[in-house]
Amino acid sequence: MKNLSPGEIPLFMPRSNTSTAVNKTGSWRFFHPKYEEKTAPCSAACPAGQDIPRIEMLASWGLLKSAWQKIVLENPFPSVCGRVCFHPCESKCNRSNLDEPIAIHRLERFLGDTAISKGRKPDLNLKATNGKKIAIAGSGPAGLAAAYFMRRLGYSCDVYEAWPEPGGLLRWGIPNYRLPRAILKNEIKHIEDLGVTIQCNTPVTENVLQKLYREYDALFIGCGYGRPISMKIDGGNLAYDGLEFLRNVQQDNTSTLTGTAAIVGGGNTAIDVARSLARLGATPLIVYRRRIQDMPAFAPEVEMAIREGIAIKELVSPIRIQKNRSDDSDSPRYILTLRKMKVSKKAIRGRARVIPDGEKTEIIKVQRIFSAIGAEAQALWQRSAAEETRSVTLSHCQIIENKIPLLFGGDLTAPVKSVTDAIASGKQAAIALDTYFDTNLGAVKERIAACQVGSGPALSMETYLNDVQPNKNAHVVTYDEINIDYFQTESRVNPSFLDAKKSTRSFAEIETTLENHAAKQEARRCFNCGSCNACDYCRFYCPEMAVIVEKAERHINMDYCKGCGVCATECPRNAMALEEEIK
Amino acid sequence: MKKVLEGSHAVSEAARLARVQVIAAYPITPQTHIVEALSEYCSNGTLNARFINVESEHSAMAAVIGASSGGVRAFTASSSHGLAYMHELLHWASGARLPIVMAEVNRALGPGWNIWTDQTDSLAQRDTGWIQLYCEDGQDVLDTTLLAFRLAEAVNLPVMVVLDAFYLSHTFEPVDVPDPEQADRFLPPLSPRIRLSTDDPCAINQLVAPTAYMEMRFNIQVAMEEALLRFSQFESEFETIFGRNHGPVEAIQCEDADIILVTTGTVTSTCRQVIAELRSRGEKVGLLKIKMFRPFPTALIGRHLSRSQKVAVVDRNFSFGASGIFAQEIRAALCNQKPHPLVFSYVVGLGGRDITPDTLQEIYDATKTKTTPDQESIWIGLNQEIIETWRN
Repeated sequence: MKNLSPGEIPLFMPRSNTSTAVNKTGSWRFFHPKYEEKTAPCSAACPAGQDIPRIEMLASWGLLKSAWQKIVLENPFPSVCGRVCFHPCESKCNRSNLDEPIAIHRLERFLGDTAISKGRKPDLNLKATNGKKIAIAGSGPAGLAAAYFMRRLGYSCDVYEAWPEPGGLLRWGIPNYRLPRAILKNEIKHIEDLGVTIQCNTPVTENVLQKLYREYDALFIGCGYGRPISMKIDGGNLAYDGLEFLRNVQQDNTSTLTGTAAIVGGGNTAIDVARSLARLGATPLIVYRRRIQDMPAFAPEVEMAIREGIAIKELVSPIRIQKNRSDDSDSPRYILTLRKMKVSKKAIRGRARVIPDGEKTEIIKVQRIFSAIGAEAQALWQRSAAEETRSVTLSHCQIIENKIPLLFGGDLTAPVKSVTDAIASGKQAAIALDTYFDTNLGAVKERIAACQVGSGPALSMETYLNDVQPNKNAHVVTYDEINIDYFQTESRVNPSFLDAKKSTRSFAEIETTLENHAAKQEARRCFNCGSCNACDYCRFYCPEMAVIVEKAERHINMDYCKGCGVCATECPRNAMALEEEIK
Repeated sequence: MKKVLEGSHAVSEAARLARVQVIAAYPITPQTHIVEALSEYCSNGTLNARFINVESEHSAMAAVIGASSGGVRAFTASSSHGLAYMHELLHWASGARLPIVMAEVNRALGPGWNIWTDQTDSLAQRDTGWIQLYCEDGQDVLDTTLLAFRLAEAVNLPVMVVLDAFYLSHTFEPVDVPDPEQADRFLPPLSPRIRLSTDDPCAINQLVAPTAYMEMRFNIQVAMEEALLRFSQFESEFETIFGRNHGPVEAIQCEDADIILVTTGTVTSTCRQVIAELRSRGEKVGLLKIKMFRPFPTALIGRHLSRSQKVAVVDRNFSFGASGIFAQEIRAALCNQKPHPLVFSYVVGLGGRDITPDTLQEIYDATKTKTTPDQESIWIGLNQEIIETWRN
């Protein structure tokens, strides 16, 4: 500043043209940040272990194919699960602490339906067939998932189905208004396209079983609870089985009905029977021995039924069914005697206990009575411990060394009787069987544990296939670990629904699939808990410009990172960690 | 062209004419109208400038420091608590020798919460190295703001243009708004002497050891002294173009006055009327308006006051434990002069209380009556009832 122009006053100022790069601020460091992805609560809660934060991230970017591809790595049924899963993921969504949870199931459905409408095929990098043949009994969600995952691991799979079409409960137990048949067909086709064969009209009887033992290297049993439990009351035989009724509805084997129909039970079957009856013209009345809030049916299903005007009579227990001897031909056919119940002050395992309310009873006259109080396994699969030699019991399946390895899955073993838990059992069985053939029965538990999503029962096939440590830390991100300054409240998007009056006139699907823009908008609401979405705030805020992005990957230049922790603190989604430096 | 303008908008018009390039500000009563008008100019294209919204005055000053370091003409405005919040960065702006211009609307500091005029906010920033210019009316505001850019850029020091809350900021007066071409003639585009650029990467304002810090500070003082000279030079250039001149100080009938009242800001206008009235009654009274507070024009003030017997300083501000702040400065300016007049310090109008012709008359009478200033400061117009109630 010495050469002053005429009239200029002196400016004596510190200034340096030497690059500050000479000052390696990394030497100041006592902590270092690192990119460390963590488990999102939704993923940990998903029985299928889907990488939901990544799926929503890809969807928010409009990469719908990649997002769908990410789902089918872990679950062959996005369109189905997007409709029928009870979405435990959403109950755990961190966003619900800010406003409302992400509509994960609706996005899953949207991605599945988009793939179907575009005729996409899963790109799965199938392993070449290894010569081993697996028989699968039952083509419900468990059996089909087992076939899907086992085929990907190199096994040839043949599925045996008792009924004329595949799908099990998905085909015969869930009415069209919740799951259109075309959707199911499409996703089953994806599995068949991998080379899985499905033989319908072939129930696995004792004779067939002996043949399977001879011809196959392993057998997966996912036959579900096919045998209804009948009501052990006077005249219980007069009640019509709810599942059988649903099956008839699904075969279009029903006609218009009139009069009141009582449905005994509080599960999903009871709800579906009632809603189907309403569509056929009857007036359904659900009778349930506990209260509405105690019903084992998934809450959204109960809500929908109530919205459709279905009556639920709570705290009544049937004790007798009699034929109505009235001569009047218009009079209802049955007399149902109900005992009134009340809530006991004592609860059992958190669930309210109900006891008879003295001797009070009530009589109702109805045209039809349906029983939907549950089902159990067929006699063939009601195993006794004595027959078993060596076995390993896992969260969702059991593997038994017998003539050939037997794997039990689906409702027979799943802790929650749901479609997604059935799929999870198929996946678990596939990993267990592959480990069994690869090493031995003793190695199964450890291998399964290595594929866990978070620390729950859900497994990642991606982790298993990559044969590496899980790419995410098992820590489940909590709401207080989200940097909420980066998010503004925004309502969850809703699709359009058929209105309740119209919906009960036909079996047409009630809920529509989200529109493209609405889906992306919803996906953008996702915090992407624990997953880096390249928002770049770590780089923007680094005072030393030590965050380097190369080929879309971020890393820290340790020469200059002084360990201030700004990057990890700013990270909106806890995809970074700060560790003490051991020098 | 003459326009009826609010005092705040006289600032906005000057900033527009100065073609400022970056504005960063945070709203605060009574300053908000200034930047409101400028933000409209930015959005409707009247002014080609970047308006940076910030979350605080601290950030507003930081943003204009950044802009000015990048070599562009930068402007902000604030008041009271907002100015106080900028304090740390005011030192930085002058230390970094950045020619930033800020309009500062004098408002009292709380508590008690008070939005009305009081000079203590800007005077509390006395030692931050900013040039401070106090305005009397709307025209003074516009002219001073325009001149402030010229001065700041010539000496590389920031300038604070100060105006009274409401009496000036919210009062409409006829103001002559120059044509842009005229303004451009007076104020050429900035040729920055400090300009961070990626073309010539450098680091500035790093650690300075005790061996050089004093010299840096001495240089700021050199620039301050230079500012005093340049101010008059620019004022005469300004007068050539616009036909107006305000002066660092303005002396009215001081030559033969026995008593001289010293004022700043809008009180000066009231005082002009009081002086005229007193003169008509044969009182030998004068008025000295001080516009420039930093650098303090010590010699000039000494010269104007030297022939009087008594000086009555009207302070709308206070330094607790001492006296009115202008009075302190005047005493300091005169003390080495022999002989020098007696200096009476009057504290008036704090927190926006009116200073009426009667108030000034009372000050004149008190000064005339007393032989010596028997108190450090005399508080005028205190409600004795309140004082006594609380004393007992």
